[in-house]
Amino acid sequence: MEEKIISKENLLKLCSDLLKNNVDVITPGEKGYVKIKNENEVALNSKTKHTKASFKEYIFPKSEPIIYYKKNQNDVEIIEPKVEEKTTVIFGAKPCDIRSINILSKIFNWDYKDEFFNVRANNTVLIGLMCEYADEFCFCTSVNLSPTSVEGSDIFLLPLDENNFAVRIVTEKGTNFLKSYENYLTPGNTEKSKAVEAAVKQPEKVFDAEKVKEWITGNFESEYWNSVGRMCLGCAQCAFVCPVCHCFDIVDEDYNYSEGRRMKNWDGCQFDMFTKHASGHNPRNDQTKRYRQRISHKFKYYPDKFDEILCTGCGRCSRGCPVSIDIKGIVTEINELAKA
Amino acid sequence: MNEINTIAKELLTSGKVNAVIGYIRYGNDKRTKPFIAQKPEEADKFVINKFILNNLAVYLTREEITKLGKIGIIAKGCDIKAIVALIQESQIKRDDVYIIGVNCSGVTNDFDIDFNAETVAGKCLNCEVKSPKLFDVTVGTLEDIPQGEDKKLKMIRGVEAMNSEERWDFFEEEFDKCIKCYACRQACPLCYCEQCIVDKSIPRWIESSASKRGNFSWNLIRAFHLSGRCIGCNECERVCPMDIPLSLLNRKMAMVTKDDFNYVSGMDVNAPTLVGSYDLKDNEDFIE
Repeated sequence: MEEKIISKENLLKLCSDLLKNNVDVITPGEKGYVKIKNENEVALNSKTKHTKASFKEYIFPKSEPIIYYKKNQNDVEIIEPKVEEKTTVIFGAKPCDIRSINILSKIFNWDYKDEFFNVRANNTVLIGLMCEYADEFCFCTSVNLSPTSVEGSDIFLLPLDENNFAVRIVTEKGTNFLKSYENYLTPGNTEKSKAVEAAVKQPEKVFDAEKVKEWITGNFESEYWNSVGRMCLGCAQCAFVCPVCHCFDIVDEDYNYSEGRRMKNWDGCQFDMFTKHASGHNPRNDQTKRYRQRISHKFKYYPDKFDEILCTGCGRCSRGCPVSIDIKGIVTEINELAKA
Repeated sequence: MNEINTIAKELLTSGKVNAVIGYIRYGNDKRTKPFIAQKPEEADKFVINKFILNNLAVYLTREEITKLGKIGIIAKGCDIKAIVALIQESQIKRDDVYIIGVNCSGVTNDFDIDFNAETVAGKCLNCEVKSPKLFDVTVGTLEDIPQGEDKKLKMIRGVEAMNSEERWDFFEEEFDKCIKCYACRQACPLCYCEQCIVDKSIPRWIESSASKRGNFSWNLIRAFHLSGRCIGCNECERVCPMDIPLSLLNRKMAMVTKDDFNYVSGMDVNAPTLVGSYDLKDNEDFIE
């Protein structure tokens, strides 16, 4: 992996160049991931807290039209919107956020290639930033990640000192992207960057994801599920702020008798309507069943299917939960049950 | 062992209730989370402190909880207003619930900082129910609530001073943030409809999409459906992941119903609900 150095000054110049070229630059700010208008708004502080929500909506929008329809006399006209191929840069996301695109890519390219996701993902350059914030909700190290992991990034930045960043060029996309900015880069210093990396405080690993998956496999009917999800109110805060939750609902919206659009909207497995059948039957008719599904999907079903844990340990779900349900605590408890 | 633990334990041991719902410590020493105790020894975990923010009355209409039988609930004055409103609307019977009323001197969401005039929850500033009005037993002693600036009222006056176009722009900017997670609805003790209007699809009245139209219609319909009913616990605003100032609309509507109909929700179990009744003396000057 090639490594360079960039000064803060040049990083801001790079950002300014991007904005001048009409590239969308999205960075984690105080009000969440926002499109910046000025290079000085870009996030370069590795010590800041997570945003409340992930940057998922820029690659997988919370609501988007997938078809427009118009009923004429004898037929129905279908217009398929094309996703704009706009170059986007996610600038300064933590490893727990950046990793999400690789994880999501698997489901969106499984039995059907989702062009709405792919076009956006292909046109997005992911620039990660080392993380020096860890609170009691974080557990990236328990899900095969770390505050300095380059996995998922096209380019990864590590602050070497007040004015300089190590630039790890991880993918071909990253290499191609930096071709236009070669003059901003100077030769790397891997000794220094490795020292910085080693000094970062890693959250303690609190569970073994393999053991957790094994326990979930054999314990669908366990009494444990009765208490875990009982306090859940059944909103979708956790699913919607999560970098990797991806369930969606397809609904038609009529403008009038003859015209309308088909929408693809975020959906959440904690909603009581999520598995309600047209017959009225609901296989997950209480919150404890729905909560069992959430944990099982993240730590068993998705790993079984795609060899990826459907969780990056960012802790957003728990920080924002209206009733303080703590996924780290729950999975740790399951780990304990697995050991017993 | 404190007063609250003794009371809760006795209720469970004697079988007066099948479960007690209250707050337990969580995370660092100050933060709390909702908890339901069914065994007497579990009652030892309950705490009363400045961080008991949740309105637990929301659980009184959730089947996972009500199927346990008679519930004991640890409730602040604001939470009890929700219980009163639920009784007014025939959603629960007074006998279904044993109310452990908390003499409350204010709560806060800021567990990182000390409890003071800056950090006290906005809803506590004008609280008229520090000492609960409806209860089976009370716990705790009253102190003064630190008096801070009523920032929400200031915001309401700001919006009132705007013209229609400015108000539209203001709310458009706020509602654009909405992601339709329905945390506001799920945390609200008075949003108990088995089928919410947004879930009805034939015909579709309120769009489920997080589009401009879907967000506007959702937030407005919730404000309409809560008018005259909302008891001002502000849970909706607390739980919103996008920081939309939801209490603006709800509090404004409560001010309107107080001014126009002299009605305050959640104060009297025997009072007929505002929208469920009429009075010959009701204002009719808008009918021409």
